[in-house]
Amino acid sequence: MRPALEEIVGRANALYEDLDFGAVTDWKRRNPGRKAIGYMPIYVPREIVHAAGMLPVGIVGGSDRLEIIRGDAYFQSYICHIPRSTIELALSGRLDSLDGMLFPSICDVIRNLSGMWKLLFPDRYVRYIDVPQNFDARVGGEFWRREIEALRDDLVVLGGEPITDDALNKSIAVYNENRRALIDLYKARSEQPWVFPTPELYVVMRAGNVLPPDEHTAMIRAYLDEAPREDREDKDHSRIVIVGTFCEQPPLGLLRTLERAGCWIVGDDLLLGNRWIETEIPTEGKPMENLSQAFIEHSTATASRYDAERAKGESLIQSVRDNEAEGVIFCAPSFCDPALLDQPMLVNALDREGISHTQFKYSEDTGQFGVIHEQAGTFSDSIRLWSEV
Amino acid sequence: MISTAVSSEILTAGIDVGTSSVKAAIIRMNAGGWKRDDVEVLALRAERIRRRDLKQVINESFHTVLEDAGVSEKDLAYVASTGEGELVHFRRGHFFGMTTHARGAVYMLPGSRAVLDVGALHGRAMRIDGRSKVLSYRMTTQCASGSGQFLENVARYLGVALEEVGPLSKEAKEPEMVSSICAVLAETDVINMVSRGISTSDILKGIHLSMAGRYIKLLRAIGATECDVAVTGGLAADEGLIQAMRELIQKDGIPMLIQEDPQSIHAGAIGAALWGGYRHEVLERKRQSA
Repeated sequence: MRPALEEIVGRANALYEDLDFGAVTDWKRRNPGRKAIGYMPIYVPREIVHAAGMLPVGIVGGSDRLEIIRGDAYFQSYICHIPRSTIELALSGRLDSLDGMLFPSICDVIRNLSGMWKLLFPDRYVRYIDVPQNFDARVGGEFWRREIEALRDDLVVLGGEPITDDALNKSIAVYNENRRALIDLYKARSEQPWVFPTPELYVVMRAGNVLPPDEHTAMIRAYLDEAPREDREDKDHSRIVIVGTFCEQPPLGLLRTLERAGCWIVGDDLLLGNRWIETEIPTEGKPMENLSQAFIEHSTATASRYDAERAKGESLIQSVRDNEAEGVIFCAPSFCDPALLDQPMLVNALDREGISHTQFKYSEDTGQFGVIHEQAGTFSDSIRLWSEV
Repeated sequence: MISTAVSSEILTAGIDVGTSSVKAAIIRMNAGGWKRDDVEVLALRAERIRRRDLKQVINESFHTVLEDAGVSEKDLAYVASTGEGELVHFRRGHFFGMTTHARGAVYMLPGSRAVLDVGALHGRAMRIDGRSKVLSYRMTTQCASGSGQFLENVARYLGVALEEVGPLSKEAKEPEMVSSICAVLAETDVINMVSRGISTSDILKGIHLSMAGRYIKLLRAIGATECDVAVTGGLAADEGLIQAMRELIQKDGIPMLIQEDPQSIHAGAIGAALWGGYRHEVLERKRQSA
């Protein structure tokens, strides 16, 4: 790998592997007195945290590198893995750099995690963010605006400084740049997946969980410049979209396995919160209304969002078409209610369109990929060899 | 040197990276052809790995088979890998072992409706249709006692060359059965047999019958009891094993026909090369329509 690319990917990998969140500690050291606020998947309006002069920090569990010692005591066995590893991170002191934590309503497990946080860490700011499921601007829009205004007011108290509209508009502009860079990265990956392998794209995208947004945008842009200079050859792989990875993240080994098995990932819902708003948010006028309106009108389609207007699977099929994908892999965490309850409806939608699909489950600490390798490989074979015969 | 540009004929390569050996094939085929007449196998190569650097063995096998075929790498329309083929960095595409063995089996023995791929690490039975599409499959479990590696170990203990295993097994008078469950116990069985003075032929035949029993069970499990079965993989060359399987199905009255071909050990590589040819056509069509 060329040194310039190695430096970018190496840094992103180091940030991915650092379970002590050293980047956050460094940021706080460089910015004395300022606070860092953690947030769980899927979506929180990071612009408000940023406008408060704080660092939004994405927490998505402990991946496959964290041994769960105390976390299991807090949860029954038949739920997903991310809450137990998140508790483990906190109890082991790895999240001590965070001054607060936001828990958006994605499922019961994350909601209950917010309650546990309040009991375990009474000295820290904790907020459960109730996301509307009614997307009528007069109902859900109004509710959401009040919800995010309450968050803003909390952060004013926590930070001890006002959050002005001007600061919010500037933060919205910063995140617009970040979203634009991610859109460009995803477009480039869809066009040339061998140039932008998904395990690399993923760590570069995930660096945004701990870096300030402008720094992260610069990293994405540098990666977009450098990756095409690497001598990478296209392979005769099938093009697939993966679905179900919006909350608990798959281990990096799983993404590598899919590509090694002959699947180019050309569409995904990994770390979906970073791409939740599908358009740019206006940077003039009333920022809280703009943020609220963007959520109501331009949120992406996913399992945890009720969408009364579009049929289930419509956006997945659109993603298949837009990315010229040949199949879909349902790749969901074990016991993930939102992903797994959505799956039958998405399967029906794909069947109606004649789009191939297969499915398996993972946990963030899955370490054996032999079966997945075999399954993804035979799926790729079936697409390439039998779709035309 | 054969050029791909002057006719609808194309050249493809298949590289099957197995546990104990690397097999390579160069074929010439009529574009879009499926029948045996559409295909000419120009060269085949099987190279044992023997604790050498695998990438080096792959490169050597590939370049030797190219030389044998009298073609150069740039003449190839598609290089396909199979098995542990991720190490074949110059491949255009990779196909899974079942897919390629099924295709290779139908090429060699067109009437086959089941394939038994028996390699160094495990055995795998597949039901297929006439186009070589895999309909169902069963594999041996992780235990090695049904594998070529186990047989190779036993041959080494007995001081017998691998090529002698089959002929010796066929000479057996009173086969001595071994444990068919665990390789470690089976190897202990063999040591006991040697100390009891059991002949090498009877020991080998006992092992063959034990392995054959496991494979017949796999074939029965996928419902391949009344069809032609093509044996592929390294153990297809073991005439003692093939005979043991035939004896068992005859004894049990199973109307199954066990077949092998002189090219059976190359089925994966040939299948990969054939699928490579097919994919080349598909990709060309896509390119032209774009």
